[in-house]
Amino acid sequence: MKPGGILYMLGALFYFVLGVVYWFWTGEIVGTVGITLTGGLALLTGFYILFTLRRIGPGPDDLDDAEIADADPDFGFFSPGSWWPLPVAIAAALIALGLVFAVWLVIIGLGVLFISIYGLMSEYYRGPRLPEA
Amino acid sequence: MSAATFQQSTHPTRASKTAVGTVVWLASELMFFAGLFAMFFTARSVSPELWAERTELLNVPFAAVNTTILVLSSVTAQLGVFAAERGDVRVFRNWTLLTFLMGAYFVAGQVYEYAELVHKGLLISTDPYGSVFYATTGFHALHVTGGLIAFLYVLIRSYQTTRFTHGQVTSAVVVSYYWHFVDVVWIALFAAIYLLK
Repeated sequence: MKPGGILYMLGALFYFVLGVVYWFWTGEIVGTVGITLTGGLALLTGFYILFTLRRIGPGPDDLDDAEIADADPDFGFFSPGSWWPLPVAIAAALIALGLVFAVWLVIIGLGVLFISIYGLMSEYYRGPRLPEA
Repeated sequence: MSAATFQQSTHPTRASKTAVGTVVWLASELMFFAGLFAMFFTARSVSPELWAERTELLNVPFAAVNTTILVLSSVTAQLGVFAAERGDVRVFRNWTLLTFLMGAYFVAGQVYEYAELVHKGLLISTDPYGSVFYATTGFHALHVTGGLIAFLYVLIRSYQTTRFTHGQVTSAVVVSYYWHFVDVVWIALFAAIYLLK
């Protein structure tokens, strides 16, 4: 993880320096804001990786003599399949259509969206058995 | 969940995929706000006299109080996350509820401020200042509202399940990341709109 974090930080440094150079070279605002905040984009990810590294300590990918089996076996929980993204997408389509044609369609779309996000979110938190992860 | 498995699952050797994904998405959100900031500063540099005139309409003390509440809500959100990581769901709910109320107060304050400005004759279609002001603060308020809904879902799920699972802790953590992000963006927006007159 450490080389990854450092790469992001180098990216941030590069864009911040570039932002300053661009400002003095052109004096143009849109590019300056864009380039500087691109540095922010890299900084956010880099900071998170390095901060997490400090919190959980060096992982197997930071050690030269680590084995595959040393890695944390818990990859996280992945849904084997779900129908709920479909109503979420239908709700998004309703809202988009409503913005073009009629406001009442937006209201219906928001209702469908809240219900379908709730369904997606609680899909694995219902029933007698709860997931371990 | 036993204490041993909880201990193990909160101290993994690799970063949570959900958390990394959220941070990468927040980085892309930063670029969305970069567009809004670029628009703001461009419009400001093109018509400085309009800015000098229009910023007189702003109620800075009111917005400052609102900002303080939003910043403090980030603190309560973090206290809630600490409680969630300890597995203390009761304390987590209380802090999250308080965060929700503070965020809701912020959005209500924004609505009040909009009503006041509309009353003074500043509409989104009035002039470039109106367009820029409502577009930047409006998109931010939409983000805050989205965060409020996310808090609500996390809260509802904590009541719905009999156990507070590790997955729920992850949800609480990533929603707090989002909340901190929206908070930091507001500090920058507040400085640009209300302080840089």
